[in-house]
Amino acid sequence: MSELLEVKHLSVGIDTVQGEVEAVRDVSFSLRAGEILAVVGESGCGKSIMCKSIMKLLPGNAKIKSGSICINGVDITSYKEKEMQKLRGNLFSMVFQDPMTSLNPTMTIGAQIAEAVLIHQPKLSKAEVKKRVLELMELVGIERAEERANLYPWNFSGGMRQRSVLAIALASDPDILIADEPTTSLDVTIQAQILDLLREIQKRLGTATILVSHDLGVVARCADRVAVMYAGKIIETGETQEVYYDPKHPYTWGLLRSLPALSRGKDRLYTLPGMPPSLIHPPKGDAFAYRNTYALAVDYEKEPPMFRVTDSHYVATWLLDERAANVRNQIAEAMGNVDAVGAQNGEMETKQLCRKRCIEKLESGGNFEVLEQAESEEGQNSETGQNAEILLDVQHLSHVFPLSKKHVIRAVDDVSFQIRRGEILGLVGESGSGKSTVARCIMNICRPYSGKIVYRGIDVCDRGQFRQNKKMLQTDRQLIFQDSGSSLNQRMKVKEIILEPLKVSHMKPMHGSYHEEALFQMKAVGLEEQCLNRYPSELSGGQRQRVAIARALITEPGLLVADEPIASLDVSIQAQIVNLFRHLQEEHGFSFLFIAHDLAMVEFLCDRVGVMYHGRLVELAPCGELYANPLHPYTKELLSAIPVPDPLKERARKTTEFGSDKYVRGGRMEEVLPGHYVEIDQ
Amino acid sequence: MSPDEFQVVGIRHIAEQPDKLKKKWYQGRPIFSIGILVLIVAGCLGNRFIMTKDPTYMDLLHYSLAPDAEFLFGTDTMGRDIFSMIWYGGRISLLIGLLSAAISTVIAVLFGAVSGIAPQWLDTLLMRVTEILLSIPNLLLVILLQAILGKANVLTISFVIGVTGWTSIAKVVRTEVRQIRNSEYVIASRCMGGGFFHILWKHLTPNFVSSIMFMVVMNVRSAIVSESTLSFMGIGLPLEVISWGSMLSLSEKALLGGSWWMILIPGVFLVVTLLCMTNIGNYLRKSVNQKQSNL
Amino acid sequence: MKKNKVQYIGKKVLIFAISVFLLSLITFYISRMAPGDPLVSYYGDRVEKMSPQERERAEERLGLHKPVSVQYVQWLKQAVRGDFGISYKYKKDVLEVIGGRIGNTLVLGGIGFLLIFVLALLLGVLCAWYEDSLLDRMICKVGTVTSCIPEFWLSLLLLLIFAVELRWLPGSGAYTVGKSDDILDRIWHLILPVSIVVLNHLWYYAYMIRNKLLEEVRADYVLLARSKGMDKKQILFRHCLRNIIPSYLSIMAISVPHVLGGTYIIETVFSYPGIGTLSYESARYKDYNLLMVLCILSGVVVILCNMIAQAVNEQIDPRIRAAEIMEETEVTQL
Repeated sequence: MSELLEVKHLSVGIDTVQGEVEAVRDVSFSLRAGEILAVVGESGCGKSIMCKSIMKLLPGNAKIKSGSICINGVDITSYKEKEMQKLRGNLFSMVFQDPMTSLNPTMTIGAQIAEAVLIHQPKLSKAEVKKRVLELMELVGIERAEERANLYPWNFSGGMRQRSVLAIALASDPDILIADEPTTSLDVTIQAQILDLLREIQKRLGTATILVSHDLGVVARCADRVAVMYAGKIIETGETQEVYYDPKHPYTWGLLRSLPALSRGKDRLYTLPGMPPSLIHPPKGDAFAYRNTYALAVDYEKEPPMFRVTDSHYVATWLLDERAANVRNQIAEAMGNVDAVGAQNGEMETKQLCRKRCIEKLESGGNFEVLEQAESEEGQNSETGQNAEILLDVQHLSHVFPLSKKHVIRAVDDVSFQIRRGEILGLVGESGSGKSTVARCIMNICRPYSGKIVYRGIDVCDRGQFRQNKKMLQTDRQLIFQDSGSSLNQRMKVKEIILEPLKVSHMKPMHGSYHEEALFQMKAVGLEEQCLNRYPSELSGGQRQRVAIARALITEPGLLVADEPIASLDVSIQAQIVNLFRHLQEEHGFSFLFIAHDLAMVEFLCDRVGVMYHGRLVELAPCGELYANPLHPYTKELLSAIPVPDPLKERARKTTEFGSDKYVRGGRMEEVLPGHYVEIDQ
Repeated sequence: MSPDEFQVVGIRHIAEQPDKLKKKWYQGRPIFSIGILVLIVAGCLGNRFIMTKDPTYMDLLHYSLAPDAEFLFGTDTMGRDIFSMIWYGGRISLLIGLLSAAISTVIAVLFGAVSGIAPQWLDTLLMRVTEILLSIPNLLLVILLQAILGKANVLTISFVIGVTGWTSIAKVVRTEVRQIRNSEYVIASRCMGGGFFHILWKHLTPNFVSSIMFMVVMNVRSAIVSESTLSFMGIGLPLEVISWGSMLSLSEKALLGGSWWMILIPGVFLVVTLLCMTNIGNYLRKSVNQKQSNL
Repeated sequence: MKKNKVQYIGKKVLIFAISVFLLSLITFYISRMAPGDPLVSYYGDRVEKMSPQERERAEERLGLHKPVSVQYVQWLKQAVRGDFGISYKYKKDVLEVIGGRIGNTLVLGGIGFLLIFVLALLLGVLCAWYEDSLLDRMICKVGTVTSCIPEFWLSLLLLLIFAVELRWLPGSGAYTVGKSDDILDRIWHLILPVSIVVLNHLWYYAYMIRNKLLEEVRADYVLLARSKGMDKKQILFRHCLRNIIPSYLSIMAISVPHVLGGTYIIETVFSYPGIGTLSYESARYKDYNLLMVLCILSGVVVILCNMIAQAVNEQIDPRIRAAEIMEETEVTQL
């Protein structure tokens, strides 16, 4: 097979005030015609910069320091802007992460696609252009293209916008498509559709694709080859099956294991400790050593070379050196039976075996073992579960947003549920399903339109009762927001932020002075002492979320409400935060309402799960029961949309089409099984 | 290589390397402007030590003299020494600038903050009122107000300028307050029981200070411009009260006589002061373009 | 849809009427609160020699003896009929006095405004194109400096250089006496005042365009446009410029009164016979009727311009129109 794109020893530096960031360090890879190459790694590992450097779309302060980029054997590294313009769109084009901002808001979708068509075929007549635009829109799966071509981006939902961006990228039949986290900002259900579309386009047009993602689970579905990037370097590359079934680099192990699908049935998620290093002064030796439990002494001294595993599988880790201590068995133990077999050898038979076991393992979501397990768990937790006092009782809650005098959006529509003392309730639904509004109503930020919210016997919506118990309500219920960037005041130091609730409610710190209290809380959420005097902007997303958690827990609340606390984080960091929540809940025993947009992580945290759809609660059941026996079709869809890091199984999986109004409105919640409520259509 | 090198040692912690800033502390800061402004302000405050003559003394023998060794910047049509007048009058110009900026900033912040925090209907009402006030030509308003207050002196003119110059800033304050009010950290603070004053003091004010600082500086600037314009037109300070503006009100006579120094020297001082203030103000404004261009 | 349009326009007209009414009320009261003798502007120095009886009669004749509220109602009644009274100083109908002068101001302000509009756009685009280059920095520096020069002093400076020292350009008036019909002569007289209007405001708007463009250039869609293969020129003009034009138009509409206000001062420096000098005189000498009409006139300009700005924003920019369409067709998210 011919190499379409060949990148050799590429290094990119970004000039910042703090110094030069070595975003991409000596990266080499190739892309063959018609294949999908996935580039995976946590954020801050230089994936995006690498893609942009291929198309020379780097920001002004970044430059290619060394290396070469060859396309069809032609070195384009020294090409000037004018020459690059001819190639862009024609030879390669790009899809960006956020479809909300990557379309021009003042131009119609049709005009923006037409523009892309005209750039490389300026001689086309108007009718021809229009025909081509409609063709492209149909290609990316936009129905009723003719009428939708005249709409503006804000008429479109996120998924539709991403399809439009894809249509623009495909306008001149590029040979290479670079998709930079194309699904990260979309709902899980939409995510699968976009990935399928990418695969389909690759099959139909033979477009070679570079797919960038931070989630190995997402990539399994459509990649032919995978390259794992860490700290600006590619540390493992190989055929998809090689990387998934026989990963050699400890970082790849870590990434795979922190996926929720692999921890299924266990009570705790595996997490990768720490976070990627700053690339201003990349650490000496193997950059991953500092997070690697299997790090060798040599890792701290010398950078590992690329070791060859098979002809297509290369890994940069000293573990493959023949002198290296034999850690494989230890890993096999640690990683459990899922990866153990995969880690043994590259032989096909064992692989097959592994695959089978993987599939069995994953399918076990549907068999009795888990059910029983869930039931026994239920029994164990009975003192906090079924018999404990009801802490929060939401009764027939509705909330409407007036659009105009005539039209209203029913954001929350007759939702009822209860949370008992010490219970963790998950609330799941895609964006716009009203779950945040429920949280805000509970926290008295919104006034519900109708319905009642009773907390510890107090009707919090009643002004009189609220005022009487104001102080208790304010310290006993705490909220964590989705975006810790905007929920922490940028001009306050971490210490002040954490202590704010105490000071506001004039409470005495439990652990001595204010400073000691802050230190204690920081330790509890796993932050280092020196963070105390920093500003939120100097912290990473995961660290900021930890600060928000510390702030919420300092008053020892009885109820914690977390509104999508992990949605904006990398998968590996998500797992860390979920484990932290779990740990803290066990320690403090607070009740917890955990809101998320997909079912993957919820399983490891929640006792019961409610599924919301278009403002209604459509299913509510104990966690194990819900995963084992989903009854509402929407729940089934959500479950099936959870990506599984198993290429074969993932490809065999079908995605169901999601219509926005697929399920009939209305219905009544009925208890089908003990504790399992489902909405029944009438 | 020793075989030990290939033993598992696990995670070792590394000390975080502090990022060194490449820029020196003064880079990107308006050092030059601050320096000049400090010089001018110091000169005006300590005018006693600089002035070579009595600025109010009208030396009828030496009127309209071009700059020379005795009268460094020349004399005006009434025989006053311009060099001394500059330092003496600068104090009044700056004083008026500060006073009226204080007045207009207080009004603007109060008005804008109330409008930003108030319910929708009150906000709309307040904004309509500002619009109507804005639609009266500023100059006419100043003339009329000044007439109501009687003969102009430093206090009344500061008051008039302050009272007429707050509307546009009030609007900026309002949008800023609205933005901060809707931010999640304020909601979070409300949830945990933060009262109005807590939020005002802990959240609104700190986030507000940088934009307010910019506005204050710009207010001082425009107040100085207003004072000089008004005095020049004969509506502001009378000739006897020396300020940079009233010095320039002699310029029509100066034009006829071709006495450039009467126009140029006070004007240059005025403009340089304003320029320094603009530079400082622009620095105080949040730097917007930190992101790199995509083009 | 049609009903909505009618409602929309009706609402705007109502707001307009109320604003003008309130404006007239405020100016009427403020102007009468100010001490000063309106008789002076009617009778000139003769007032000093008048006996109290004569004064009373004179005041009665001008309707100044009644309480202010009554005077206002009377004024309003006449004004609605189009009768704004006479100017005390010129002893002519107010509208006539203004009619003789307004043309001059419109020419000065209009030409200045158009030049600012076009030049600001050009300079702004130029600066954005060569962002951070020497040219950009030069233009910005020069702009900062000119924006710091008070307009009266700039006028003085230019007068000193071009009219007094070099004697190239005339220093006052709108035309040479006796040559009021000579267009070339009028243009000759306009050069200095217009260039001051332009110099004074140009930078502000050019800088605004530059900053808006630079903000736009940092948007994500620019990257997508580049990855399509568009060149810098196409992106800047077809996307970025296009996106800022609505806000530029609305800001320019709001600034019409600002620019006109600037001409007032320039008119006085150049003794240019326009509305500026007229309103200055009328306010100082309590020529009430004239003052009222001038205030309302400029107020109407301000309010109208604000409305135009709003309408431009709402009608041209699809982002803002989105909100309205949302109302009409419920939720059109597909």
